[in-house]
Amino acid sequence: MSLLKPFNKLPNLNTANVLLVENEEQFQKKLADAIVLLESNVNITVRLARSLPLPVENAESRPRIDLVVFIVHLDTEQSLLSTEASLKHLDSGYFLGKVCFLVTDARCGTVPYERLASIKKTAASLSSPLLMAEDKTTEGVRTAAQRVITVLKVSAGMVPMATGLYLSTLTRCTVPTDPDWQQDLSVIHQMTLNQ
Amino acid sequence: MDVDELLENARALAKQMSEYQSNLPPDAPASKELSETAREALLEECEEQFCQLQQLQNEITLEETESFQDSASLALSRANALAAELKEWQEIQPKLLSSNPEILLAVGKEELLQVNKQLEMVLSCTQAKRDKLKDLLKSEEQWLEDKKEVLRAATEKVTALKDENDRLSEKGVLQDMKKKIQRVKDYNDGLLETLSDILAEHFPLPHPEVNTNKRSKNILTEPRVDLVSLHDMLELLMKKAVETPHEPYVQLNESFWPPYIEMLLRYGIASRHPEDCFKIRLEAF
Repeated sequence: MSLLKPFNKLPNLNTANVLLVENEEQFQKKLADAIVLLESNVNITVRLARSLPLPVENAESRPRIDLVVFIVHLDTEQSLLSTEASLKHLDSGYFLGKVCFLVTDARCGTVPYERLASIKKTAASLSSPLLMAEDKTTEGVRTAAQRVITVLKVSAGMVPMATGLYLSTLTRCTVPTDPDWQQDLSVIHQMTLNQ
Repeated sequence: MDVDELLENARALAKQMSEYQSNLPPDAPASKELSETAREALLEECEEQFCQLQQLQNEITLEETESFQDSASLALSRANALAAELKEWQEIQPKLLSSNPEILLAVGKEELLQVNKQLEMVLSCTQAKRDKLKDLLKSEEQWLEDKKEVLRAATEKVTALKDENDRLSEKGVLQDMKKKIQRVKDYNDGLLETLSDILAEHFPLPHPEVNTNKRSKNILTEPRVDLVSLHDMLELLMKKAVETPHEPYVQLNESFWPPYIEMLLRYGIASRHPEDCFKIRLEAF
């Protein structure tokens, strides 16, 4: 089992590499196009994967990955499970500000609340940021790409005076530990579902 | 010159530039290529940095860390990393980019151009926002005007309704009636006064002198001292007509001067009783 490590390769000049991991392969292509379209004065390479671990064959030619983005579709359970499985193949060094989660369909009322809560818990336990994205509209994809680029630039060390660790400390997902609050949330969710 | 001050000046200049863009010549041509020495200095520095990077990379590769996934050790490693980063920030010494003035100039220029671009964007953004706010203000004013108009109309309507209400209420009706009665009374008084004035002026009682003058001609006419004036006659007739409409006739007697009776009868002001020629009544107009 090969772990993906953040510092096992030398970085290239003026280049940032982002890895989009998505089991369904429906959003990553659009997002990758949007990211490449938006890039300016920095070379951004987008690599796509269905899941981790990455194949060993082209491990040599693969550049250093500066940011791993897990795309989670809340409307399928499989997406969540696949993400959780992929997380195990990531070196712990990535969790110091080089991972972020991108959640879609969070606004959809028919999605079970437990899935969002579960991914939130995962992100919180890994101290990683959780971004919400709209994958149906081009405007939503563009916004998501912009946000990913912003995080990527920091984690690739291209923003002076900022590091991925620093940013993730400020933007990491937090889940309130108060059980009452969580209960309230689920009750509210139940109510909205019933309406 | 201080760097901050320079930046400040440049910012002001950039602002003016974007404000008066149309009056300014186009941007200055891109700077010339750096001289050989400057280029070499930069390359040398890059080389140095790269060497350092490689060295660090080697150290990392040599340092074989076992991976762990449970959250406690993750938090621990996070704390360690944060502490290390903090220490690094505390110890880091600010250092100049380069001492070569050419490089500094190029960097500064780039920076200024970037600032300029950003400020231009801010300017256009604020201008757009200002225009939008102006439009908003206009529409709000229009709205206010409309609302004032509506308020005015409503107030008018309320006053009108109040007036009508007053008019329609019992008290209002009574007052109205009183006013009308008063008006009619005044009119009546005025008419009576005018009538009495006219009567007093134009229909005097026969004077004794006149009678004396006529006496030679008409000896039959006896001077009457108890004659009533035309005014009193009319008053009597009117009173009779109003107070006892079923019996409006007045009994003629000696005190009525015959010429006046004749005049009243002839001009259709009074009429005789069809059966009793000594009774007259006021004509029903």
